[in-house]
Amino acid sequence: MNALELIGITKRFGSTEVLTGIDLCVDEGDFVVFVGPSGCGKSTLLRIVAGLEEQTSGNVRIAGASADGVPPAKRGIGMVFQTYALYPHLNVADNMSLALKREGLPRAEIERRLAAAAEMLELGPLLKRKPAALSGGQRQRVAIGRAIVRAPKLFLFDEPLSNLDAALRVNTRIEIANLHRALGSTMVYVTHDQIEAMTLADKIVVLNAGTIQQVGRPIDLYTMPANLFVAGFIGSPKMNFIGGDDALRAGAHTLGIRPEHLTLAANAPRWSGTVRHAEHLGSDTFLYVRTSAGELTVRVAGEAHVAIGQPIGLSAPDALVHRFDDRGLRLGQSSAG
Amino acid sequence: MTRVPPRTRRNRTHIVVFLAPAVLIYTAVMIVPLFETLRLSLFTTSGNHFVWNGVANFGVLFFDERQSLGFWNALRNNVYFFVIQMLQNPIGIGLAALLALPRLRAGAFYRTAIFLPTLLSFVIVGFGWKLILSPLWGVAPSLLGAVGLKGLFAPYLGRESSALTTLGFISVWQYVGVPMMLAYAALISIPDEIIDAAEVDGVVGIAQFFRVKLPLIWPTIGMISILTFVGNFNAFDLVYVTQGALGAPNYSTDILGTLLYRTFFGYQLQLGDPNMGATVATMMFLIILAGVCVYLFAVQRKISRYQF
Amino acid sequence: MLAAHAVLIAYTAVAVLPVLFIVMNSFKSRRAIFLAPLALPGPGSFDLVGYTTVLKTGAFGSYFANSLIVTLASLAGIIAFGSMAAFALAEYRFRLNTLTALYLMLGIMIPIRLGTVGILELMVAGHLVNTLVALILVYVASGLPVAVFVLTEFMRTISDDLKNAGRVDGLSEYEIYFWLVLPLVRPAIATVAVFTMIPIWNDLWFPLILAPGEATKTITLGAQQFIGQYVTDWNAVLAALSLGIFPVVGLYLIFSKNLIRGITSGAVK
Ligand SMILES: Nc1ncnc2c1ncn2[C@@H]1O[C@H](COP(=O)(O)OP(=O)(O)OP(=O)(O)O)[C@@H](O)[C@H]1O
Ligand SMILES: [Mg+2]
Repeated sequence: MNALELIGITKRFGSTEVLTGIDLCVDEGDFVVFVGPSGCGKSTLLRIVAGLEEQTSGNVRIAGASADGVPPAKRGIGMVFQTYALYPHLNVADNMSLALKREGLPRAEIERRLAAAAEMLELGPLLKRKPAALSGGQRQRVAIGRAIVRAPKLFLFDEPLSNLDAALRVNTRIEIANLHRALGSTMVYVTHDQIEAMTLADKIVVLNAGTIQQVGRPIDLYTMPANLFVAGFIGSPKMNFIGGDDALRAGAHTLGIRPEHLTLAANAPRWSGTVRHAEHLGSDTFLYVRTSAGELTVRVAGEAHVAIGQPIGLSAPDALVHRFDDRGLRLGQSSAG
Repeated sequence: MTRVPPRTRRNRTHIVVFLAPAVLIYTAVMIVPLFETLRLSLFTTSGNHFVWNGVANFGVLFFDERQSLGFWNALRNNVYFFVIQMLQNPIGIGLAALLALPRLRAGAFYRTAIFLPTLLSFVIVGFGWKLILSPLWGVAPSLLGAVGLKGLFAPYLGRESSALTTLGFISVWQYVGVPMMLAYAALISIPDEIIDAAEVDGVVGIAQFFRVKLPLIWPTIGMISILTFVGNFNAFDLVYVTQGALGAPNYSTDILGTLLYRTFFGYQLQLGDPNMGATVATMMFLIILAGVCVYLFAVQRKISRYQF
Repeated sequence: MLAAHAVLIAYTAVAVLPVLFIVMNSFKSRRAIFLAPLALPGPGSFDLVGYTTVLKTGAFGSYFANSLIVTLASLAGIIAFGSMAAFALAEYRFRLNTLTALYLMLGIMIPIRLGTVGILELMVAGHLVNTLVALILVYVASGLPVAVFVLTEFMRTISDDLKNAGRVDGLSEYEIYFWLVLPLVRPAIATVAVFTMIPIWNDLWFPLILAPGEATKTITLGAQQFIGQYVTDWNAVLAALSLGIFPVVGLYLIFSKNLIRGITSGAVK
């Protein structure tokens, strides 16, 4: 049984189509991340899953049952919003227990779940506070707690970390990962941050312009991007793309090489050029090299001692050169030399 | 994959429930009577039913020897009253500019005090000023005397030449709080960064007000002006209270509101006439419509709005 | 800064002194009113004769009650119906949304008094002349446009996430309106309440036309007629005016902080 199944989901606002034929299956217990550029329809898709938005056509099935026409509260979901969306006039405990009271759970059970969630998220001392008296990170934990207490079959997160500062973001990311391990529930998580996607996901769904580009494990997207969009979107710095004769010789329309897979080669380099700019991060050095094949970004581990304007040779193992056809689709690793 | 047809739409009766009470009351008590009034202006009463009369009522209003004089006089007075009343805007905006000065002490006290007259009814304001300006009572003359202007005193409300102007100023006195408040709210919503930037650029003091703040609050000023214009047609109460339904002395303070009242209900020797009343109301409606259109198409288009 | 204070103090005096003179002199004997109008009431001049005349002759108690009923009932109608409509317009996408909004807001620009001829016709037909219901209906209709306008603007600023969180938690659309959105727009409601209350309480036109009977007279109309009759009794007139001033000023001083915050709340967050 699939925890979530999307069948041919299409969404139109007036005449603009923002989602086109989305098909997706999510296994029970999976952590699935929707990732894609801003405006690609991630939130819209999540809101359709939640029942907050109605699809123009297609079906949503949650835990094997059709969810079409079922109101959000009856779908067995818990949702965490980007802006936290805490009820400003209720204290933390009431915020978290509202849905349970609506479901008519007995008092004792509500208390028990509240205590368990508060324990898990370290919210104990904050239970009587109003949202206005909480920090951003605390608010986010309350928002997560509000989803947890319902013990939902499916957790939905819409960019839950984007309003937090960088340090807190890393901490909360780890907390969410731990939470997933502890609860073992199915989670669907929307972000446009590829680090979040790579670190959290069992399965990443890359969206662009309302269509699914690729679905797979993070490492598969990295090693075998299905098309140019995924190749360019996953990985930082961005993959280098090379067209023209170099590509034709390899039997492709475009070649893709990740910056970390280019190596400095003194003898018989595949490309030679001059260093135009260098960024020294300590752990890595990014070199921007002007070559006959265009400008290439190179990621060298550790500190590389190169001068601006210095001539340099570059190579890459064939196994790590990605080939794409004229429609941008993957052709498999380079075979020719 | 199977494509399914669009599902049955979610139940949306709640939208109707939310909108119905407001739309129904508003339509029944405001819009329908308004159109009924406009319609009645095209009829005349014969016996006890209405007879189609075309635009003849307007002909009477504009050209009839007895009635047209009253109409043109009231219209003229109304325009004059509006011009005086517009003074409230520069005064109110000026006060708001002072109140919005950063680090001004006692700002809340001034705001509260200056807004006070706005809350009082025309009955209180009208009679109050009538007493204060009364030659029988010594308040106005003594006050003028205190600043050495005793010679200026005259029974302002009793003289044809000054009665309407005086009413205009009373109205300004009463309503200056409205533009003051609205302009104040607009002024303090200008982001501090913009003001800081102006300070750094050396645009300070009065120049800062005219170069930076005023342009940013033009939309508010436009809105205040149109509100003044529309509110001007409600000045009936003030005239009725201080000068009576006849706009004493000698119709010098008669405005469209009092004219409408007399025409519709009759007063003393004059008999009431719902159709002529409706005709006056229709004229007022057309004037307001023209004013609002001028505002919407000429003024508001030229004003740029800024998002902060 | 000094110059600013000088201007503001001067204008404050202009605004407040006339009111003060009325109230001050209402506590004086007739002789003192004329002899020394600018003096504060003192041991020699203090006299409540004006107030006793007013309270003996006028039916001010019943006028006051009428005004209170009309104002509160109208206010309740405006806030309830106005906020419901505003919620629908701010929250839902539907085909007639913009048109309905424009239609409802048309009334901001058109004074309801222009429809008086038609309104009287309507009230006569409904046998509502000389009832408080007639006044309440008219004031609700005339107050709705501004209320809908202001509240729609405010409700648009409430985060969608919050309302969606409520939906996920199982609240119905009615509960979301009543229980989530209404509490959040309370400042706006207070502002709308004050701004619609003042003209209703102070209105002379519709009481004069729709409900001039003794049993339904409002305080504004009653005071106007009382003062008209007693013009020569200065004590009584001043006392009647002061009685009109006290409740308004009292309420204002209690609420002024909230009122001003409400007006400027869009600005100072
Ligand atoms: N109510 C609406 N009416 C019309 N268009 C809408 C509506 N809601 C969303 N859209 C459009 O649908 C597209 C997808 O929006 P969505 O919010 O799903 O993007 P997103 O992928 O979540 O982007 P972000 O990362 O910026 O949050 C956008 O182009 C947006 O403009
Ligand atoms: Mg989004």
